[in-house]
Amino acid sequence: MSVIDPFVGAVDRVMKFPVNALEYTNILLTTDDAVVGATPRDVVWTHRQTTLYRYRSPNRRYEVPLLLVFALINRPEIFDLRRGSSLVEFLVGEGFDVFLVDWGYPDEEDAEMGLDEYICDELEWAVRETLRASGAEELTLMGWCIGATLCAMYCGLDRGGGRVPVKNLALLTMPVDGRASNYANWVGDEDFDVDGVSELWGSVPGSAIDFANKLMKPVTNFWTTYRRLWEGVQDGSARREAYQSMAKWVADNPPFAGRAWAQWIHLMYRDGALVRGTVRLRNRVVDLHRIDQSVLVITAGADHIAPRPGTMPFFDLIASEDVDHFARPGGHIGLVAGSAARKELWPSIAQWLAARSDG
Amino acid sequence: MADRQNGAQSPEQQVRALYEEAETKTAKAFEDLVNRPSFGQLLALSAENTAALTRMAFDGIDLLWRNLRLAGRADIIRLSKQLHRTEDKLERVLQEVETLRDEVARERESVELDATEAPS
Repeated sequence: MSVIDPFVGAVDRVMKFPVNALEYTNILLTTDDAVVGATPRDVVWTHRQTTLYRYRSPNRRYEVPLLLVFALINRPEIFDLRRGSSLVEFLVGEGFDVFLVDWGYPDEEDAEMGLDEYICDELEWAVRETLRASGAEELTLMGWCIGATLCAMYCGLDRGGGRVPVKNLALLTMPVDGRASNYANWVGDEDFDVDGVSELWGSVPGSAIDFANKLMKPVTNFWTTYRRLWEGVQDGSARREAYQSMAKWVADNPPFAGRAWAQWIHLMYRDGALVRGTVRLRNRVVDLHRIDQSVLVITAGADHIAPRPGTMPFFDLIASEDVDHFARPGGHIGLVAGSAARKELWPSIAQWLAARSDG
Repeated sequence: MADRQNGAQSPEQQVRALYEEAETKTAKAFEDLVNRPSFGQLLALSAENTAALTRMAFDGIDLLWRNLRLAGRADIIRLSKQLHRTEDKLERVLQEVETLRDEVARERESVELDATEAPS
């Protein structure tokens, strides 16, 4: 390396700056054009804002269908981000009959929707329609984030002796007790009038929830992401498709139905009600001891939204004998949707499901 | 030169490393800041005030709009809620119909099975 090399490098970067700046701007400005959720699907059932989709597998190998449930914030397209990086596409390719619940975009008229409506109506009926469409007696529920908690609550709901038609339960980065999480610092204080805010807003705007989520790691979310993209553009390693699909998904924030939001904050960040077994939905007790299905729990080591310690109490609460825990490094979303997931985590999930998905 | 051949960093790499270290420390400092209860209180108060102001602004605009005898947001929400209630009832009726249809189909199947099994 000669003495003038650094100067040559600097001059080269200056010369390329206009082109790189245009490329960078173009990536940011055309993010909305990214195709997200491209795997072909059919609408099976709709009710209010909820839609149940089916991804038909051309080589279905397993009798037990798989119902995917995402959180009440952000969109379920993270399950099917883009071609080659889609969990749905992978599972369909493996021969699973995959269904997905989409909670839609709740608006002010949905302000009355509470967790009881989501679990006792929407999820209950989505399960019913999945079983009818697939012709199966039981299904596998796979939830992610709040969606995982909803699935666990659904399975723990008092049914007066009746059995829930769920054979397996796969729970990805699931919050169970959030009282020690960063969120609790923000919303756990009794002085914060959660019910008043939810009533004023009707449905809590998605942008407000997104802002709060990003505020947990402000420098990383508001600066480092864009700085890294710029560096990627400069050295030619920027992956336009990967960046744009994820950025588009992150920016798509449906509102959180007001009543459900307030209930979620109370049970998760103030009362620890799930752990204490005091959750009641339509006067029916949610008791996680009722969960006796095969259970797979996946936690992420660097998850700041649903930290691993907040998931661990779940293992002491359930009655299942067939329980697996994949404790992996990674973040709340990156663990399952990141570039490494396809090679590492997805095959493990498929293997776990395959062993438990024959009628 | 010998240092560089032994793996020492160039000035540019050193600057970059220093910057990344500074950024990491700043990120950590900000994360500590937002995790303080005082920041949480500030955020909670801001959320309450924003929600109240938004509501007042929307209500004001809506009042003006409705005084012009035009359907306002409140009217649309009320209509949407009525539609939701109708949809809820329809969904429950549909489920009943489907259950009854399944029962009839099962009974018909068992009758047909009995008929084929009965000695001729």
